[in-house]
Amino acid sequence: MNIARFFRNYFTRNGIGLGTFLLVAVLFWVVVLIILPQLSMLDFSFRHHLPPPEMGGPKDTYTLEHYKYLVLGAPGADTSYNVVDLGVFGRTLLAAFFVTILDLVLCYPLAYYLGQSKGGGFIRVLVLLLIIPYWVNEILRAFAFRIIFGDSGLINEMLLAMGLVDSPIDFIRANVALYAGLGYAYILLMIFPIYNVIESLDRNQIEAARDMGAPWWRIHWRVVIPYAKPGISSGCTMVFMLTAGALAAPQILGGPSSLWFTQIIYQWFNQGGNWPRGAAFAIVLLVTCIIIVLSTMRLFKVRIGDIGK
Amino acid sequence: MKAENVFLKIILGAYLAVFFGYLLGPLIVMSITAFNSPSFPKMTPWECLTFEWFDVLANDTRILNGIENSLIVGVGTVFLSVIMGLAAALLLTQIWPKLRATYYTVVIAPILIPGVVLGISTLVFWDRISVMLGMETGGILHNGIFLTILGQSTFIASYCMLVFVARLQRFDTDLTEAALDLGATHVQAFWKILLPFMKPAIGSAAVLAFLASFENYNTTTFTFGKFPTLTIELAQKVRYGINPSISSLAFIIIVLTIIGALAYEVYRRRQQLALANGAPVGAISSGFQLPRIFRRNPAAVILVLLALGGFSTIWFAQTYSPDVCKMDVREQKRLIQEERIKAIQEKRQLEMQQKQQQGTGVLGGSKSDAPAAQSPGQGAFGNVFKPGNLDKTTTEPKADKPAQSPGKGAFGDVFAPNNLDKTPPKED
Repeated sequence: MNIARFFRNYFTRNGIGLGTFLLVAVLFWVVVLIILPQLSMLDFSFRHHLPPPEMGGPKDTYTLEHYKYLVLGAPGADTSYNVVDLGVFGRTLLAAFFVTILDLVLCYPLAYYLGQSKGGGFIRVLVLLLIIPYWVNEILRAFAFRIIFGDSGLINEMLLAMGLVDSPIDFIRANVALYAGLGYAYILLMIFPIYNVIESLDRNQIEAARDMGAPWWRIHWRVVIPYAKPGISSGCTMVFMLTAGALAAPQILGGPSSLWFTQIIYQWFNQGGNWPRGAAFAIVLLVTCIIIVLSTMRLFKVRIGDIGK
Repeated sequence: MKAENVFLKIILGAYLAVFFGYLLGPLIVMSITAFNSPSFPKMTPWECLTFEWFDVLANDTRILNGIENSLIVGVGTVFLSVIMGLAAALLLTQIWPKLRATYYTVVIAPILIPGVVLGISTLVFWDRISVMLGMETGGILHNGIFLTILGQSTFIASYCMLVFVARLQRFDTDLTEAALDLGATHVQAFWKILLPFMKPAIGSAAVLAFLASFENYNTTTFTFGKFPTLTIELAQKVRYGINPSISSLAFIIIVLTIIGALAYEVYRRRQQLALANGAPVGAISSGFQLPRIFRRNPAAVILVLLALGGFSTIWFAQTYSPDVCKMDVREQKRLIQEERIKAIQEKRQLEMQQKQQQGTGVLGGSKSDAPAAQSPGQGAFGNVFKPGNLDKTTTEPKADKPAQSPGKGAFGDVFAPNNLDKTPPKED
């Protein structure tokens, strides 16, 4: 038997004690922490919302109620679709997409510059400066944007002082603060994967392209970007997933009239008290994000193994 | 060609300025607000240099309690995720090749799963388990710290694993082979060869795990139960009313981060120097060579300057008191407010006069007294205490003022008989 031989080899290589320990640790992580909770959440999302004593009782059957609610809205509502929740869902994905593009556009030139320069003190300082904001708490970063964009914030005070506007502009309501904060929150996860890949690009390739008379944009289009594709796609994947799943920035910077999909999930759990519905919404978010990421990777022909390098 | 180069350089400079302005600007602004005295964090207008927000922070029991919970959770998470990440990385090199891709996908997936989903699934799963086991609520499976550690470790272990995998790729398996040939057991080879090789990676994975745990919000917000971590407390503070003590916390974190980064840079430079000179690291690390390190190592110089600056700031904070400046600001604000009130009063007076001129006198003859009543502080007591006047201006708080201080010598009219008749409730 193949498997038996594998295990025999495994245990002779690691010793019984250590081998068992490694296996137990990994199994605990993979099964108890990763797979079972996701499955239990999936199962939970198909259950009725019941008070604890009735759980496991005769009423505890499977239902599509919560998924129906997301699509069709509460029974008896005057619209045939759940316009509010679906609208928020669509807007979240769209906004996450645009934030990802914004980060990519902002980061690509810097990653190229850092990756292709010969190193030296100035570059070291730049990399250090890049890392510092990432170590500051996510909440505090959002808070900083509130100080800047608030009604009596820095920008409004400056505009007022310069006489450009008469009354403060409501950046919070217009979601400017939210998008700026979200773009800021995960920008480093875009820059470092691209930087790492471009750093390993042979400069001679660029020289060769230049010698053959290619303009700068064609060098990027034909040489640098194809080479950096794994980095770009892994950066985009992470930024997109994290932005769509962000909770802190929308809670702190979001306008009063705009919700993020995670906030709806949060409300079902913490204020609505309807856990199965929250779980169903979370499943929808998870599945949608996975589908989007997988199809983008298929589109750009990148493997999942490239992520996190 | 040369002109083009200059042009490119200008564009590059501008781009770098914009990018790093976006990256660091918010942090700088936030740090500055920690030293400004208004109770809402703002940079403009600058009022007074103050250190009181650090005192407020140090006396905030919820923040301190949050830090304590964060530390407990952080230690637990580091322990769990370093072990799981190391085990997973070691298995990755040994696993059946056909399974390897699937296995890698599964252990890397937690990084890509939204933190909210991880928090919810942890909460739901352990709730289910405790129901299945017939445990009552409030047992260990509902304990916020237990759940938070498990929820955070789920994805932080993936980060750790990536660090270990990167290090393992540089491991020379011949070393283990040699140890085995020399008669070591597998366990000995692991403890004596592989683990010491992994030591730096274990250190950086632990630091990474602790930082990730310390700043996690999305997962923790579902699992914390009765043990809010620092991030949770901060989020609640920021959402429901804020004051600059949060800025002062941010300032402390930023300074610590910079010191940490510089210290790491110093350490790295030292090692580089050692390698460049062909000397063992130990020779460079010895104390008396410090001056030379300063000469070659700008990061060390900055670090020392920063420390000096920090100490002098603390000393300054002990001696400096912002009270005088605050009084000044308060006085200024009061003056501005008075100006405003005066302006409003004058405006009203004007409006009243205009109305009068238009002759739309619905209220009759007593209306002519109203303008005088709105500026009672000008010695027109005689007019103020005219009965008809009081009747009309009871809604005007300013007009009551003289009535509340009747002992100022304007008794003449007060004791007029018909005056008392009309205004008995006003005199108490």
